[in-house]
Amino acid sequence: MSTNPWSIRVMVLAGFAGMVDSGYVGFHSLTGLLIPCGPAGGCDQVLNSPYSHWGGVSIAWFGFAFYLAVTAAGIFGLSGFRQVFRFSLAASLAAFLVTLYLLYVQAFILQAYCDYCLLSALLVFVILGAHLALRPWTRPPESA
Amino acid sequence: MPKASSSQKQRSGARGRSGGRKNPSVAKPLAILAAVVVVALGAAFYLQRRADDQAASAPASSSRNTGSLISPQGWSKGNSQAKAVLVEFVDFQCGACASASSRVANIARKHGSRLKIVFKHHPMRRAHGNAMIAAQAAEAAGLQFKFWEMHDLLLQRQPEWAKVPDAQTIFLRYAAELQLNLARFRRDVWSREVREKINRDILEGQMAQVRSVPAFFLNGKPISNTRDEVEFEQSIVAAIRSLQ
Repeated sequence: MSTNPWSIRVMVLAGFAGMVDSGYVGFHSLTGLLIPCGPAGGCDQVLNSPYSHWGGVSIAWFGFAFYLAVTAAGIFGLSGFRQVFRFSLAASLAAFLVTLYLLYVQAFILQAYCDYCLLSALLVFVILGAHLALRPWTRPPESA
Repeated sequence: MPKASSSQKQRSGARGRSGGRKNPSVAKPLAILAAVVVVALGAAFYLQRRADDQAASAPASSSRNTGSLISPQGWSKGNSQAKAVLVEFVDFQCGACASASSRVANIARKHGSRLKIVFKHHPMRRAHGNAMIAAQAAEAAGLQFKFWEMHDLLLQRQPEWAKVPDAQTIFLRYAAELQLNLARFRRDVWSREVREKINRDILEGQMAQVRSVPAFFLNGKPISNTRDEVEFEQSIVAAIRSLQ
């Protein structure tokens, strides 16, 4: 396992940004108000589609849970608990697959994009990249 | 990591000196994590509130006749010059709204010459997944002068679309039935103009403390018992008389 702290810091920063992003969308879903949308322009179409909720819960909150787990892994990893990256890698791979599915839904089913979802997709890619750079599946180097 | 571990080792004394791998403390990262989560949630909440406040401060139309919080603007029927104004907040996916629509239609038929009935959207999006798109469909039809026709179709055929994953397809069928320009309808359903209009109604309803639907306001005052047709009509007739 690599001990590159930059990868871990990137992971923490991306996790934090993801929590703000998904928390923002999550809070909006609770108010029932329309969400302001940026250049992508299709936030309402995406966030009010049947694909935006799982079991009645906005998927933003599932995203929040993922980013929280990644941030936790990063913070604990920086404090020496490197084994957590094996779990967060598994979570990141799952998030990556879900992200691909949600991008497919936006591109081909809804034919609308949501800025917050695209940002989230980017953050998932960054987090997975940071994990791959850490190579948590290998043994950590012995400390002197 | 080595730096953190060695300071930990010094603090924990015998435990740290016992040899083998160093045992990092859980308390510090846990505290940092808690702080990070609080900051992230706080930032998300602050941004969301700020966005709502900006939307709420959008220019509002005049509130003549209906009290300070509810404007008499919107899709209306009856006598547009009437002093008595009945404002209804409706969620197209709510069953009670569907049954109330016949009472409102009855009142419009009987007292329409002395009453203005104004429609406002209040989709309860958390409970009703298709309420918002239904409101958008009604507004899109309104842009082709068929709001009330779409309004009636949506409420009469509510069971047909209320629970389906892709209600838009059904609304397109309704639009075809109403002989709307389908390309324009499809575009208008998701237009900014339509969404902002519904958003303004939602904000107005929230400011007027609308907690459930349908909600009725007669000249700005809420009507409490709207389920009893006789009482509902009596309160409206009394208001019309008091204003004459």
